[in-house]
Amino acid sequence: MNAVRKKEWLCPRNVVAGLAAGAMLAVAGAASAGVIKIGASLRMKTETGEKYGQMVVDELSAINAAGGVNGHTIEIKLLNDECKSDIGVANATKYAYQDNVHLFVGSTCSSVSLPIVDVIHKAGVPMLIPHSTNYKITLKGSPWVFRVPISSRFSAAAAAKYTAENIGTKIAYIWASDAASQADAQKFYEYIRNFHGEGPLYAEQFQEGELDLRPHLLKIKALQPEALMISAQSQDFARGLVQSYEVGIPPSVKRIGGSAASNRPAPILAGDAIKGVFFHAAFSYVDPDPNAQAFVKMTTERYGVPTPDHDFSQAWDLVQIAKRALERANLTLSDDSLAADRAAIRDALATIQGYKTLGGGVVDFCADATPECRDGNKTPVLIEYTKGGEDYELRVIGKTTFGADFGLDGMQEEAAALRKSLDN
Amino acid sequence: MLLRTENLSKHFGGLRAVDGIDFELEEGEVRGLIGPNGSGKSTFFNLVSGIYRPDEGSRIRIGGQDTTHFEPHRIAALGVARTFQLLRVFSEMTVLENLLVGHHLHVAYGPVAAVLGTRRMRNEERRVREEMMELLAFIGLADFAAMLASELSVGQRRLLALGRAMAMRPRLLMLDEPAAGLSPVNVDNLLRIIVGLKERYGLTVIIVEHILRVVMDTCEKVTVLDHGQKIAEGTPDEVKTDHAVIEAYLGREMEDDEVRRVLQG
Amino acid sequence: MAEQAASLRFIDATERGLTRLRAVHPLAPWLVAFLLLAPLPWVLLNTYHVFLANFICVMILLSVGLNIVKGFCGQVTVGHVGLYAIGAYTAAVMSVNFGMTFWMSLPIAVMVTLLAGAVVGIPSFRLEGAYLALVTLGLGESVRIFISATEYLGATNGFSGIPAPRIGDFRFDTYQKYYYLVMPVMLLGVFFSFRILRSRLGRGFMAVREDPVAAAAAGVNVRGHKMIAFLISAGYAGFAGALYAHMIPGYLNPRNFTVIEMVTLLLMVVLGGLGHIWGGVIGAIIVTIVYDITKDYYHYSLLLFGSVIVLTVLFMPKGIGGIIDRFIATRRFIAIREGRATRPGSDDAA
Repeated sequence: MNAVRKKEWLCPRNVVAGLAAGAMLAVAGAASAGVIKIGASLRMKTETGEKYGQMVVDELSAINAAGGVNGHTIEIKLLNDECKSDIGVANATKYAYQDNVHLFVGSTCSSVSLPIVDVIHKAGVPMLIPHSTNYKITLKGSPWVFRVPISSRFSAAAAAKYTAENIGTKIAYIWASDAASQADAQKFYEYIRNFHGEGPLYAEQFQEGELDLRPHLLKIKALQPEALMISAQSQDFARGLVQSYEVGIPPSVKRIGGSAASNRPAPILAGDAIKGVFFHAAFSYVDPDPNAQAFVKMTTERYGVPTPDHDFSQAWDLVQIAKRALERANLTLSDDSLAADRAAIRDALATIQGYKTLGGGVVDFCADATPECRDGNKTPVLIEYTKGGEDYELRVIGKTTFGADFGLDGMQEEAAALRKSLDN
Repeated sequence: MLLRTENLSKHFGGLRAVDGIDFELEEGEVRGLIGPNGSGKSTFFNLVSGIYRPDEGSRIRIGGQDTTHFEPHRIAALGVARTFQLLRVFSEMTVLENLLVGHHLHVAYGPVAAVLGTRRMRNEERRVREEMMELLAFIGLADFAAMLASELSVGQRRLLALGRAMAMRPRLLMLDEPAAGLSPVNVDNLLRIIVGLKERYGLTVIIVEHILRVVMDTCEKVTVLDHGQKIAEGTPDEVKTDHAVIEAYLGREMEDDEVRRVLQG
Repeated sequence: MAEQAASLRFIDATERGLTRLRAVHPLAPWLVAFLLLAPLPWVLLNTYHVFLANFICVMILLSVGLNIVKGFCGQVTVGHVGLYAIGAYTAAVMSVNFGMTFWMSLPIAVMVTLLAGAVVGIPSFRLEGAYLALVTLGLGESVRIFISATEYLGATNGFSGIPAPRIGDFRFDTYQKYYYLVMPVMLLGVFFSFRILRSRLGRGFMAVREDPVAAAAAGVNVRGHKMIAFLISAGYAGFAGALYAHMIPGYLNPRNFTVIEMVTLLLMVVLGGLGHIWGGVIGAIIVTIVYDITKDYYHYSLLLFGSVIVLTVLFMPKGIGGIIDRFIATRRFIAIREGRATRPGSDDAA
């Protein structure tokens, strides 16, 4: 039976067909040398995570459909790192040494991007970061690292800078005893003091969960500040806001929150008392800017996401930046040009200047392996609550741009230590 | 005096499972321990072997040493081996390994020697394996050495439990219903083995048994328990005619027809 | 039939070979294993595979240790990842904050982990099964939460900059070089477990697992054996942790020591064979490789892993190790019936 089949298989017609197929494969193999390989490691588990992962794939497919980049097609692979550093490191290592990618994209989480920097630095793969904000990532000083989102060294002072420039510097502070709230308040008044020479009007700490903040608020009322910062977790923050109105601090005094102000429970618990409170992000879906609104429309229609957050918008920005860089890079894409192609993409990324993000910021990269050059976006957006309660509403009140070297004072020692560990 | 208990007591909540038993056992004796269900026989075993902690005021002495508060493995180290009513063989270990665990206290090398694989360790391991294979041959399980204990029949497991106790090279062997569930042929076989062991190693034996033939045929002296108390002690013949014993067995509902038959006949 | 005969020949040949090797010297099989493993970085396709090999070595250390306490001694501990974290962070703090070399931070990490192992072991004196699992889970998780909340340990940002080990000017700073550090340690760990488990101590562990009351009556110090099992497994976790910490990129994060990692570790041991001497090794290799291959189907990875655990427990409670044993036993049985082979010898001390 087998023998018979073998004979049939060897008939001339099949042999010709086989040879043709082989020839086609050989052609396909030759063509595949012109493929730009991108490897992405993101947190894909959440629903939006998957959707913006899909968006990245779709955008790149669209580029391919339109003829690719300088005739090269782009091939992207997505891996989930679950926001875990060991998985992220494994993914990056796999991309670098097994899949031989030309560009690495990732990760969502700072704690994952931090160790990946070491991996891609050793392997010599350009790394384009979509979401991680920790300032140490670029402070490590690897020439292969480029960051699209806003570094934490800017965002920590964004609200303070905006307040000082647009509202005033006579500010009263109360903050809860937890570490994050304490740090938020401290960074705020240090910024005001360092850049505007004004000390706090009132500064007191209260215990987490303390029910009656009115004694503090009554004293503050008497001091007539221009702004009041209540730095606390959602519940304490909401209570403080409500009580600030109870003791009669006028609505004209701007209320400011810490990083917890953007958490969903805050507007729901505080109700209308949250009106006018603002926080910062890299993008807001309420931004009236036509580009932003076109983006929101696109995500609504294609991915069913009417309220894309800045993770979403930055993933889109990243694709545009990658596309520009790949266009500029002179790529050979043969089997032994991997190192040269990677270096070409790195150098092309370093020439990206003046890319306007969906959030209204500008991404500038340059050649030096320093945070000044590699923290692309320096423009946080400030977003204000216009309505509290379950169906709270937001609006963009402004943007504030930082100098490239902002927040790097006194970091030389830390930078040196990080650079040393990078070479380890 | 190999074993002596004074005022040995154990209560579980309001139940006095063992209630002030004074018990003495001479070296070389084979003693039967009988009594109706729930009379405290197994509890007595568990107390002597250290598995239960006795109540305040109890005293247990083994070979002249006060073992009242000893943990089980220290009592085992004094040469006390026991079997269990429910056998408790190590199911997922081989037959040979079961015996090797029984021999645990006589394997003379430590973990460091094991890791280093010293010559002494290897010789010792060879010796104990050979000895245990001999013991297996004696109880008729040599062919099953490499099988898991769970693969044996119930009768073979009973023999294995006995073998594991013997592997401890005991001075005092405590058998908890060694013949339960065996066919008459197997009971005879077991009796032969027990008598053989006793003669070969000069053991002292306590047997708890429901099948009275076993006790009556092998023991020189019998102790009878009821409600946790000792109600009679003497030769099998003496005990058989003891008024308190007859009352203890006949004065209540009995499942064990055989006991009734033996006592009446 | 022909296949059966062939597999039997293979089994017999392997066994004869091993016996001959042991006759040369008891350590000869281990030397051969080392020589076989040594050229691996040169055989593997790329650096990523060497990275995986290193990672597998760390996982083998962890799962072999867990198999000793769980598979052999029967103590249901779910806190092993906590010990691993303690080992890793101790090594990290010793080398970064106290400037010690790897050769100092490693033994200190192991000692600290041993201490922690004793703490995890104490509840096993009184608790069994699910209760012990809950307590150890709590201990393991509290380690992770403590790290997450402690700024000194990098909290949720992670602990970075742990230097690569060095001997003089030679630094283990690539995966290839690190392999020659982690592979011998792994091999020593496996060797150690073989020696321990096939000795008096190992039989004591198994007796405690099978029936603590009967074990005690046979003269086995049950508490002592439980404690030693916990200590040995903690020692393994300490080595694994320190080796993981110093491996590129020298970064630790509490997120890598969660219940998910614990489940993966349990999967390794269960799949490889609980209480099987090769269980931890087989499981660590298979799970790590399967995890890597299925990386692309991340949507289904948890589903896959969950179902593998359930199916393993249902259909092969003794894991792959158990299946191999069964396979060999069946082949032998057939051969004995056909009169083609002799009776199996009783297994000997390796």
